[in-house]
Amino acid sequence: MLGVLLGAIYAIVSVGLTIIFGVMDVVNIAHSAFVALGMYTVWMVAQRGLSPFLGVPVAGVLLFVLGVAIQRSAIAPLVEERQSSRLLVTIAFSIVIVAAIEATFGPTPRNLDLDLGSIELGGVYVIRSQLYALVVAAVTFAAVWVFLHRTHTGRAIRGTADNRTSAAYAGIDVERIDAITFGLGAGLAGLAGALVTFVQPFDPYLGNTYLTIAFVVVVLGGLGSIPGTVVGGLVVGLLHVFGSYFLPGTYYKVLILVVFVALLVFRPTGLFGGSVDE
Amino acid sequence: MSDREGPSNRVGRLLGAVVASLRTAGERWYATPVLTVGAFALLAVLPQALDVRVFGVGLGSILSLQALILALLWATAAQSWNLVSGFAGQFSLGHAAFFGLGAYTPLVLAREFGVSPWLGMLAGSAVAVAYACCLGGLTFRYDIRGSYFVLVTLAFAELLLYLFVNVDAVGGASGVVKPLPDAYGTAFGLVAFQFRERLPYYYVVLAFLAVVTLVALLVQRSQTGLYLRAIRDDEDAARAVGIPTVRYKLFALALSAFFTAWAGAFWAMYFPSIRPRVVFGVLVNIDIVLPAAIGGIGTVAGPIVGAFTLEIVSELGRQAVDFPELQDIVGGVVLLLVVLKSPGGLVSLPGKVAALVDRVTGETRSVWDRDPSRTEDD
Repeated sequence: MLGVLLGAIYAIVSVGLTIIFGVMDVVNIAHSAFVALGMYTVWMVAQRGLSPFLGVPVAGVLLFVLGVAIQRSAIAPLVEERQSSRLLVTIAFSIVIVAAIEATFGPTPRNLDLDLGSIELGGVYVIRSQLYALVVAAVTFAAVWVFLHRTHTGRAIRGTADNRTSAAYAGIDVERIDAITFGLGAGLAGLAGALVTFVQPFDPYLGNTYLTIAFVVVVLGGLGSIPGTVVGGLVVGLLHVFGSYFLPGTYYKVLILVVFVALLVFRPTGLFGGSVDE
Repeated sequence: MSDREGPSNRVGRLLGAVVASLRTAGERWYATPVLTVGAFALLAVLPQALDVRVFGVGLGSILSLQALILALLWATAAQSWNLVSGFAGQFSLGHAAFFGLGAYTPLVLAREFGVSPWLGMLAGSAVAVAYACCLGGLTFRYDIRGSYFVLVTLAFAELLLYLFVNVDAVGGASGVVKPLPDAYGTAFGLVAFQFRERLPYYYVVLAFLAVVTLVALLVQRSQTGLYLRAIRDDEDAARAVGIPTVRYKLFALALSAFFTAWAGAFWAMYFPSIRPRVVFGVLVNIDIVLPAAIGGIGTVAGPIVGAFTLEIVSELGRQAVDFPELQDIVGGVVLLLVVLKSPGGLVSLPGKVAALVDRVTGETRSVWDRDPSRTEDD
């Protein structure tokens, strides 16, 4: 159960990363900072005495707006530049945001202390808050899939990811698509960060862990493939849970990265790379 | 800026003459050696200049020796990073791996086996080179480039981070404490790589930077450097004309790892202890990239200029407002400004100023006119 939920969260972070990568050819290092912002948005909402679940959509919307703002102000001017300059911009935002969070909230780990009890589900006791988080994650996936496949804008995003130049010739406003994509990616990261708060204590640097794992997931599923990313996320989530059960300490992280390296050697295109039409 | 006042302006003409003479000097064959030696001579006397006070104001009030040492340390690491990521264009975000291996090896060898840290440093370099060969062998063989290369390098660094956090033989998450010199049979001093004062450390790290800079200059001017530039600009074309691209990229990565490990070794011998998060963490990757990115990726002067700019700006900021995260915020903001306003880094600014002066004085040098940012001023 926890494995599936973790997997879902990893997958949400990774989907955001992979669509940004697909459309703009940039590895968004600031993704970890977006995840962290999502966590602290929930924290702020919970501090106001409101339900932390309210913080989930708030985090998504807030990060979407921030993502669009960052894309418009700092990434759009660099679309024609080398890929490394866009990478550097995301690094810059990542440092500033994480430092700002640390300055505001301090480096100590926080915990939501949310206890809604457990319910029995087919003979297994399930923590209620985690169940709700899983439902939110599932709904998010459905929404993203519908958006990308059934709406005009979503198709435009996929078209731009396929071929930027052709998309522009076909009358797609690629600059607008860039902004929406980056906003969507950031929003998903924020949402995932919000869900993390229901699973584990968090600090300003936890986003980095999720970013690293998201890289593994993305490569596991094949860069740019959304179904691949979902499967990759679940695989890594299960590796995480079973790894931490059978191995001492945080060796499960080593395990995840070893799987990543092994994959590079034996199947560099990812488990689904090249075969999934996305 | 004062040099925009019009073609008839006398100041403009004077500036034009100065720039013109500077430029002809800059084009002479001895320009680089003279500049390099001059810059390092300046750096060598800088600690003494900290104490000099003119009208009650001294450099010492802006810069501390500690800040200078750290600036030199990151300049050394960034210069090494530049060998593979600047010259050969293979952007690495995982140099913390080499830095951390370079930090751990001498400490562990000195503590467990009484090996001199200097030998340990070379051993650390060897380990880092071996790791670089694993990394490079896997990535370059499968033709992993660009964004994918960034991902893989980062993953390799994180792999070591989690490994060192979990292996208790090297201290686990709490790391390794630096042994006293008698643990390996010496007293404080150069032989021990440990000093009671800060000043000798300054000269050690300055020497490291000098060696790496010399290597960078030699590589840049050699045929290898030419091949690396060809790979950076168009790898397929480079391969098509017969350059063994995998071998040259691997060489650049190994050389880079070798010297990055030196920076790590210095870190280990300078601070009282090391922890995995501090030497292998994501922030180290970023700290290594920042000076080069700010000064100018792919240039020899860039990492040094960038490291000192960063250190000076954060020290100035610290005097205005003091909180521990300030340095990170300053680094991020400066990086953002540089990438957006001066994509070539700070070292490209003199060329831009020269172009501006040329325009004011009515001269045209088409070489300088390529900068796209200029059109905005019109």
